[in-house]
Amino acid sequence: MNVYYTFRGMKRALLLQFLLISGMSVWAQVSVTGKITDEKQVGLPGVTVAVKGTQIATTTNAEGLFNIQVPGKKSVLVISSIGYLSREMPIAENGVMNISLAPDSKGLGEIVIIGYGSQVRKAMTGAVQTISEKDVKDIPVSQITQKLQGRLAGVQINQTTGKPGQGMSVRIRGQLSVSAGSDPLYVIDGFPITGNISNLNPDEIENLSVLKDAASTSLYGSRAANGVVLITTRQAKRGQTTASLNVYGGVQHLPMHGRIKMMNAEEFAEFKKEYYEDAGQAVPVEFQNPASYRNKNNDWYDALIRKAPLSSYNLTLTSNTEKTSTSIVAGYLNQQGVVLNNAYSRYSLRMNNTVNISDKVRVGFNIAPQYIEDNTPLTDGDRGTGVLFNALHTWPVMPIRDSTGQLTLYNKFPASTNNIFNYPNWVRAAKEIVNKNKQTNLIGNAFISYTPIKGLNLRSTLNAEYNGRKFFFFSPSTATNFINVPVPTTARSYRIEGTGITWLNENLATYTRSFGDHNFELLGGYTNQKFHGEYTVISANTYTDDRLSTVQGAVNLDRNGTYSDVQEWALTSQLARLTYNYQGKYLATVAFRRDGSSRFGANKRYGSFPSASLGWVVSDENFFQKIAKSTKISFAKLRSSYGVIGNNNIGNYTPYALVNIGGSGLNSVFGNTIATGAAVTSLQNRVLSWETTKQFDFGVDLALFDDRIQFTYDYYVKHTSNLLYGVQVPQESGFSNYTDNIGEIKFWGHEFAVTSRNLQGRLKWTTTANISFNRNVVVSLADGIDRVYGGDGLHITQVGKPFGQFYGLVADGLYKNQSDLDKSPKIPGRSTVGSIKLLDKNGDGVITYGGDKDDRVITGSPFPKFTYGIVNNFQLGNWDLSITGSGSSGNSLLVRHLYSTANLDGVFNLVEEVKYRWRSEANPGKGFYGTTVGGGNVTGIERDWPNSRFIADASYFSIRNITLGYNVNVKSKVFKSARLYASVQQVYTFTKYWGGPNPETSAQGDGNGPGDNLDQGIDLSNYPVPRSYTLGVNINF
Amino acid sequence: MKYRIILTILAAGCGLSGCHKFLDIQPQTSLTSETFFKTQGDFEQAVNATYNPLREIYNNQIFYTTEMHSDNAYYYRNPQFGATDGQENLADFAITVSNNVMTNGHVTQQYRDYYVIISRCNQVLSTIDAVDFDATVKNNLKGQALFMRAFSYFALERYFGSVPLHLTPVLTRQQAALPLSSPDSILLQVESDALAASKLLPNKAAQEPGRATSGAAKTLLADSYMEHHKWSDAEPVLKEVVSSNDYSLIPDYKNVFSGTTDNKNNAESVFEVQFLQGSDGLNGSLIYNMLPMPLSAAEIEPIVQVSNPQDLSGEGNNAPTPDLIAAYETGDKRKAATIGYVFSSGSANTNKTYPYCLKYAKPHAIWANTGNNVPAYRYAEVLLMLAEVLNEQGKGGEAIPYIDLVRTRAGLVGTAASSQTDLRAAILQERRVELAFECKRWFDLVRSNTFLTVITDYGNRIKADPEAYYYPPGAVPPNNAFSVVTARYPLPADEGSLSPYF
Repeated sequence: MNVYYTFRGMKRALLLQFLLISGMSVWAQVSVTGKITDEKQVGLPGVTVAVKGTQIATTTNAEGLFNIQVPGKKSVLVISSIGYLSREMPIAENGVMNISLAPDSKGLGEIVIIGYGSQVRKAMTGAVQTISEKDVKDIPVSQITQKLQGRLAGVQINQTTGKPGQGMSVRIRGQLSVSAGSDPLYVIDGFPITGNISNLNPDEIENLSVLKDAASTSLYGSRAANGVVLITTRQAKRGQTTASLNVYGGVQHLPMHGRIKMMNAEEFAEFKKEYYEDAGQAVPVEFQNPASYRNKNNDWYDALIRKAPLSSYNLTLTSNTEKTSTSIVAGYLNQQGVVLNNAYSRYSLRMNNTVNISDKVRVGFNIAPQYIEDNTPLTDGDRGTGVLFNALHTWPVMPIRDSTGQLTLYNKFPASTNNIFNYPNWVRAAKEIVNKNKQTNLIGNAFISYTPIKGLNLRSTLNAEYNGRKFFFFSPSTATNFINVPVPTTARSYRIEGTGITWLNENLATYTRSFGDHNFELLGGYTNQKFHGEYTVISANTYTDDRLSTVQGAVNLDRNGTYSDVQEWALTSQLARLTYNYQGKYLATVAFRRDGSSRFGANKRYGSFPSASLGWVVSDENFFQKIAKSTKISFAKLRSSYGVIGNNNIGNYTPYALVNIGGSGLNSVFGNTIATGAAVTSLQNRVLSWETTKQFDFGVDLALFDDRIQFTYDYYVKHTSNLLYGVQVPQESGFSNYTDNIGEIKFWGHEFAVTSRNLQGRLKWTTTANISFNRNVVVSLADGIDRVYGGDGLHITQVGKPFGQFYGLVADGLYKNQSDLDKSPKIPGRSTVGSIKLLDKNGDGVITYGGDKDDRVITGSPFPKFTYGIVNNFQLGNWDLSITGSGSSGNSLLVRHLYSTANLDGVFNLVEEVKYRWRSEANPGKGFYGTTVGGGNVTGIERDWPNSRFIADASYFSIRNITLGYNVNVKSKVFKSARLYASVQQVYTFTKYWGGPNPETSAQGDGNGPGDNLDQGIDLSNYPVPRSYTLGVNINF
Repeated sequence: MKYRIILTILAAGCGLSGCHKFLDIQPQTSLTSETFFKTQGDFEQAVNATYNPLREIYNNQIFYTTEMHSDNAYYYRNPQFGATDGQENLADFAITVSNNVMTNGHVTQQYRDYYVIISRCNQVLSTIDAVDFDATVKNNLKGQALFMRAFSYFALERYFGSVPLHLTPVLTRQQAALPLSSPDSILLQVESDALAASKLLPNKAAQEPGRATSGAAKTLLADSYMEHHKWSDAEPVLKEVVSSNDYSLIPDYKNVFSGTTDNKNNAESVFEVQFLQGSDGLNGSLIYNMLPMPLSAAEIEPIVQVSNPQDLSGEGNNAPTPDLIAAYETGDKRKAATIGYVFSSGSANTNKTYPYCLKYAKPHAIWANTGNNVPAYRYAEVLLMLAEVLNEQGKGGEAIPYIDLVRTRAGLVGTAASSQTDLRAAILQERRVELAFECKRWFDLVRSNTFLTVITDYGNRIKADPEAYYYPPGAVPPNNAFSVVTARYPLPADEGSLSPYF
């Protein structure tokens, strides 16, 4: 006869912990009044006062007073407020109740959102970490994941590129897969969304739970292996009507610290001069007098960089009355990028509404529309495509602007200077090429909740997500992002229009019951989810006029670049969970999910994902009470879990042998007539299934010194098997690979998190810190396959070794002189005095790259030995200060851009360090870069044979954010409270990393993403992460 | 017990059969092997796709692996430019071989491309009989698939000798690799397929231009017989081609080669690889790989005649050797139609005027986008094949008129050779100049078993005078040049690492 799903599932959990047997109520209205105070007897506003087992509730006013009508004299009041321990009191005979609440210093009464429900922290058995909006407010970034850097144990968050709104890589417990996706599953208000959360307005978030172990994630079944991030958006607090405005603005800039130092014009001309002199050749006239380039440097990189403003406005309105609750968050963010012509703006709105139709029925309706517009130049990517990389290796003697001040079109020196490439003007590329993206997103949820009898809740939800994307690319005849294209060039355009629609229906029943000290909660339900996405790409080229970029303005429609695609998937699931505790001391949970997925072979559609977990609050035991004083341990809990979860990110149609029709890979021509071709383009695998991860977790939660120090430790070990992998097959079959479930990776790790209230007096100082050690090893691969190379052959994955290690030759300085050359192993026909010396690892006397006599070995790891984070908060009077830092240790990056920026054959500009190359026995330089003599035959080794010399330690500690706040203590009729703050984001990075400005980087060759799992840790000199300075104000009305 | 009923309804959920439909999602952008291969149109498209990989092979690779791998063509050395080992090693016979496999990327890619054709043919041939449609159309389609399979296996045998023989589609991972079959058994399969194709295919007049014909199948069949030294088997087959009157020599040699859109599949063409200029991705760019580098836009403009000529940098390929140029007799009209000259102002060489191959230098509209076809078999070769077949059987007198047909067209007098040995040499020489840059020379040297002496002498000439072979002053061939002169390529190492059989 009761509904308890009134308050984000909060009461349900409270019930679980404190449930008392209450008899049948007598239906007679009784009025109860009173005052709720804190431990110092000061009235507490906004405290929830609810009648246990009913929907009836109210909140205290500003003085802490309340008045509530209860249905009978035997009713029990539940009094709860965040930050205080909840209490339950039978109503007093006289109807007057003055109750004081004790602060909840351990956070044990904290409600934690878990999959399909919530739990009080004390009763949890899984490994879950939570972040509340309060913890990360005032950090002026556009993405919530940027705010989370350094705050989560076991979660590595790297910002691989500084593009606004992009580039965050989130890996929970080091999870990896060979070819399936590794991003966690994001669940917003119970709705597993299809993408990531980069566009979500951080101000809409109330709290966030990261589910790490299998017991916590198993209810997400075939999608849970990469971990789950649950996000709860803002809800109105009962009885409160609030309005607040949060505005900040600032500027971003790119510090010189860490930038790649390239030669300036004079240095470059000097290099060129020496290049010819060393080779005994005539110096071209252009470089005979390097001093003539003094003060005529053209810093192409700097020309692309600017200071950029950043501003954000958020208005939050909440209202909660007895029958309805509404919260509205309206936001606008405008972030210009530090690269020219880069801008990101976001308009967002979220409205969450609930209505109590009766004591038994409650409905809710949430809607969150969003419009995002960005223009992001093609900054990142391999040599020849990304303009930042291109700018680095463009000759600094080439003018950015001509004598009239106009941007040059392209530059080329005479062939006699060994200028083999045209260098288009990259400033034009950034400014003139359009890369406009417009997204319209909408998430909507509706639910109905019904409580037919006491303890039973039935809830049905309908969720829908719509993503609409329009992308427009136009490269006019005057600009290109490709190297070696003369300008004017062919104008090109493409347009992408795509939509994705997901809907999800969930039907859940929850039954909560207690028998004496035995407390149960049983959850059961089924869900159906379906996705339909489609997109069309239209490509055209050869425009008659750059001002007319319409499709009809083009002379040619590019048939190969014009196509459409449809993608669909469906998932149907049943789930169940039983949670039990005895006296809140012995805890147990078993959970089960069964998923049916359209993505798998007809014979492998269904999978089962069970889990079990146990917990023991040791400190509740009598024997412990005796030692609590002497050990200073005020709380201790042990927990352990085991479960099976899956990863279904394998593409929608992988089991099928696809027949493709048309396109340049299949069509033929006869005479001058095109004949459409069709062929089977992949091998079928009807028994293809998801990847399976079996995870064990053991955790300890401790509180020490009267809860001043709280400590959590987790150990996990997981085995991911059935790895989805395109097993290479001999191409005599007509195919290159066969997608199969094969192999196994073992992951294990230790996570420590601590919160310490160092000072509690007038100056308050709190430190929270975490450190995580994640490891992995490849246990097995496909039969007959002992290694998998990364896409560019720069990485290797081998059985018995960690995943995706850097692979290459080992550098051993240079051949110092003829006798050194004579007595050392060499590359036949290529090694000379002064050229790079590599180690003959297999001892056959010859240095070989690839093939059967390969001398390559593992040269480093992109994975850190440990990652850590530390947050310090200080408060003194109205002032507060927070400092957030995070770091990583023991990981390396491959400084890949050096294959261009230190290319000794003299066709590109070079890093300054090349000045100290080997020039002669008398002038051997620093021994790092070798001789330029011998042309590509000699210098090509340094460039083309990846070796340990370009592996750099990328350990770092970064001060992410410093925020200083001041709470304005002025009583005003206009506002209740106000807060001013100043913040610096990306303050400083301490690192020995020498390869570029961002030790967190990881790049895909095409610049579209952080690199595949097999190819982590490549530094292609991506968009740098800027520092930003902001001022903000937060006003509550 | 109202709630029990509700729970029952909830629990029933989606366990019922309706969910199977919910989960049964077929791809909408692609068909699958179960939904395709059902109609005549499906098979027409599947056969069209068998020709597709030929474009990749004939646009560059085959010139590296055959013509530059002979004494006809070398590379235009540009020492400032790296990453050209792949081509250079083929031209100077220095490919890396270990454990009887090799790593050259061009050879590997060609191996794979031929097997893509074979796999597509096998898919057609294994399913077409089960589908009922017009018998004439079906025969034509089967004939084309058999021809393409035979064409591919013939090439594989000539490149590698023993290779895996796939005749049915691969359906499982285990079927992907097969043991090697001997050169004899590969050639027998080629002959069986080509013979069947010659009976199923229409003649040139009845076939859509550019597709395989009965004449092409017979020429391929005879070529395989010749490779097999089955001279007497080849003779009647070639005579059928000659007497069919489907083909004739084009009077002026320089008009033999296809233009960008015109003169394709002409009277002399037996089988040629088809290209289409434009943005459909069916274009070629061969001429851009047949020029010395660097070349300025002004220097290249007369050759390609596009409206927006651009500079070319890097290292050029397919340089006609001085040996080839010297092989033309005085008065041979074919020399001027085959060899052109271009000046490279950016060259580091003393002599900045270079020869280049003219056969594929056709005016076209779009930079690096050509539409001219590349011949695989043409009638002049059929005549020389027939001459060779006759001479090898001791019928030299019968062979001479066929040689002279070719010579006369070139503006030369009849051959002076008469003994079998002299005629053998004369036919080899005639093939060299008639079919220069048509990817025949290397296989001729192997078939005639002269490759070792010819290439060794040729290598010695290059080492003795690198500048004559387009090396800039001071540059020399690598020290392992001309160290690996073998009749067949070793199999690709990348394939060997995946196959248990080699």
